[in-house]
Amino acid sequence: MIKFENVTKTYNKKVKAVDDVSFRVKGGEIVGFIGPNGSGKTTTMKMLTGIIRADVGKITINGFNIRHDPIKAKESIGYIADSPDMFLRLKGHEFLELIGDIYHVPEKKRRERIENLCTRFELNSALSSPMMSYSHGMRQKIMVVAALMHEPPVWILDEPMVGLDPKSAFELKQLMRDHAKKGNAVFFSTHVLEVAEKLCDRVLIIKNGHLLFDGTLEKLERENKNESLEKIFLELTEK
Amino acid sequence: MSIFLKLTSALMKTVEPTSQEKKFKKVFYVVMSIIAVFGIMLPMAFLVGVIIYSLTGPLIKTGAGSNGVEMFLQIVSVFSFVFGINVIFTVFYFSGDIESLLPLPLKPYQIIGSKFTAALISESIMEFIIIIAAFAGYIIATGAPFYSWIIALIGMVTLPIVPLIYCAILCMLVMLISGFIKNKDTVNKITGVLTFLVIIGLIALVSTSGGFDTEHLIKALSDPNNSLLWVMNGVFPQIGFLVDAMTGNTLINLLYYIGVNLAAIGVFMLIAQLIYFRTVVGISGGRNTTGRKSFESVVKKTRVRPVAATYMKKEFRLLFRTPAYFMNCILINLIWPLFLYLVYVLQGRTSFLDSFIYGIHSGDEETVLIYLLAISGVSVLVTAANCIASSAITREGKHFSFIKYIPVPYMTQLNVKAAVSIIISGGGMLVYVIAASIYLNIGVKLMIFCCILSLLSVSFTSYFGIFMDSVNPKLVWDGELNALRGNYNIFFNMALAILLEAVICAAAYLLFKFTGLGALMIIIMLFILIMLLNVMSYLLCKFKATKNIEEISF
Repeated sequence: MIKFENVTKTYNKKVKAVDDVSFRVKGGEIVGFIGPNGSGKTTTMKMLTGIIRADVGKITINGFNIRHDPIKAKESIGYIADSPDMFLRLKGHEFLELIGDIYHVPEKKRRERIENLCTRFELNSALSSPMMSYSHGMRQKIMVVAALMHEPPVWILDEPMVGLDPKSAFELKQLMRDHAKKGNAVFFSTHVLEVAEKLCDRVLIIKNGHLLFDGTLEKLERENKNESLEKIFLELTEK
Repeated sequence: MSIFLKLTSALMKTVEPTSQEKKFKKVFYVVMSIIAVFGIMLPMAFLVGVIIYSLTGPLIKTGAGSNGVEMFLQIVSVFSFVFGINVIFTVFYFSGDIESLLPLPLKPYQIIGSKFTAALISESIMEFIIIIAAFAGYIIATGAPFYSWIIALIGMVTLPIVPLIYCAILCMLVMLISGFIKNKDTVNKITGVLTFLVIIGLIALVSTSGGFDTEHLIKALSDPNNSLLWVMNGVFPQIGFLVDAMTGNTLINLLYYIGVNLAAIGVFMLIAQLIYFRTVVGISGGRNTTGRKSFESVVKKTRVRPVAATYMKKEFRLLFRTPAYFMNCILINLIWPLFLYLVYVLQGRTSFLDSFIYGIHSGDEETVLIYLLAISGVSVLVTAANCIASSAITREGKHFSFIKYIPVPYMTQLNVKAAVSIIISGGGMLVYVIAASIYLNIGVKLMIFCCILSLLSVSFTSYFGIFMDSVNPKLVWDGELNALRGNYNIFFNMALAILLEAVICAAAYLLFKFTGLGALMIIIMLFILIMLLNVMSYLLCKFKATKNIEEISF
């Protein structure tokens, strides 16, 4: 579902944020993307969603090349950006309607999805208030609802757990599992190694724009003498 | 002192435009700067200088030579005060940096001093030019000694201090006595209404004076019992001292001038030290209203709309609900006709206006041509000045990426942004064009043509503004007002639009005057040219602006 092939991105012709990175995420998989700050995670996420153009390489989402068929590719993605402070002067329901129209979600399905997701994330009473009055966590939750409303086959989530209360984090993790079970792909970045450990079928570890590891957690542990993920991560990224 | 300088320099960065990385953009900005300086700033400065020079000559004969420049600088100070209120409120109380500054071990006067200096520098650049131009006109007219130029330079950078200190003290006192204003939007609304009321009051005051012609103005300025001059000298005493320092008793007047400024700064710092922390704590950044609709009714009302319609609704909501945008992009469309009316009132019923109305009624070709050129020119100016188009991408700010990751073609989004500018600017223009056409009784056919010409002028300026903003949008800003403040794209777009329209109008008029071509032919040529500009600006957006957006890594 996601093909990221030999991609390189350089800023200002000097800083190589992502250097010849390749990976794939198949349908039914949850893949965690971990790495220290400034390692190239957000740049990779942004290239996957078409926000930043790759200098070299090919990115395919659900069979559509993000460069040559961007609209079809973007329609296949549910994206949660790293900051939920978006259109804060809109009310919650106005923002969801905007997203619903942009992703052509039919009326009946839209109502069902809003009702279902907002109830799960306890947003019902906040929908008619301006998002400016929301807490950081509530803003993050409405971004989650918006990203998932059109039931896209590919989820790309940049630090989706940040700011979520334990119940909402649990709900989101559950949604991610359910989504993958239906044969869809979930690709998310995180700094919380426990989340990656419990949720992911596979992890990618990136540092200084280079992919250090791509495989299952079992493989990672096997290769590193059954040490804890935290220790393995620190050893890999501090080399 | 070092803390003050470091803090000021850090705060200045929040209003600076984003740096240019690409060579093309650097060159583009240099070219735009040259056009802005030579196309707008210098002609404006020249005009101010000429006005002061022309006023000062006759006033010297009446023994009141300095009254003209003093009155002008007092008016500039009043405008600086009126338009500074909103800026100072935002900078002192509602900017995003406050939450980072308050926990630091800084004294109130250090925070306020730095914030004030940063605001003064970024807000007063155009004012500096106007002040130096006024002094130049005065110095040349009076033949003041060479050191007057040094005094003028001192005045250029220091005269805006006192009006902004008045704003600052007023803001702090208002916050102190009105505990209920703890919300940014409430303050913005109040200052918006206040600004509007001050302008209306100014117009009402001038309307009752029966109009000013030059003779009347010189007579009023040379009248020793002029109460307005007396009051203004009391409010801004430093202006009189500085002007007097140029023509006599230099040292003592300069000392008085420095004394007044230092006293104002001292009082301001003292008030800041005493009350700033008490007034700044507990302020919220925006609206905090609670929704009244039930969840069921909200979900039930969900309707499917075309993407362009829903995107446009979003643009309108953000423009109308964000006070900084409402003030600068929407309300400005109501304020400029008031200024136009003020000029009309100030001029009185001149022979020019009488002959213009007569010319229109009698179907005089030249007058009709001037009328059409004026409509096209004002339409372009208004669209560029309200910056709805030229800040359309900048206003996205931190969530610019939204434009890029949603499955909506860039051109569709730009078309909607242009349409919003056309609806607001064009809608306003249509009301004024129809009102003016009815007042001038020009007939239905010509009125319809005027409306079409106005809309076409608005349209190409809107698309061009969006293209200009796409070259290097200022996406990093702290607080919505900073998206517009210090935004070179808006200024450059306005400079280019004014220059282009001035060239078109001058060329059309000169063609009519000197080539023997009839007015109808010139009007047809003008219409075709504006149509071509529409096509060109649309294509610029379609092929260049979309590419620019694609290339922005943010």
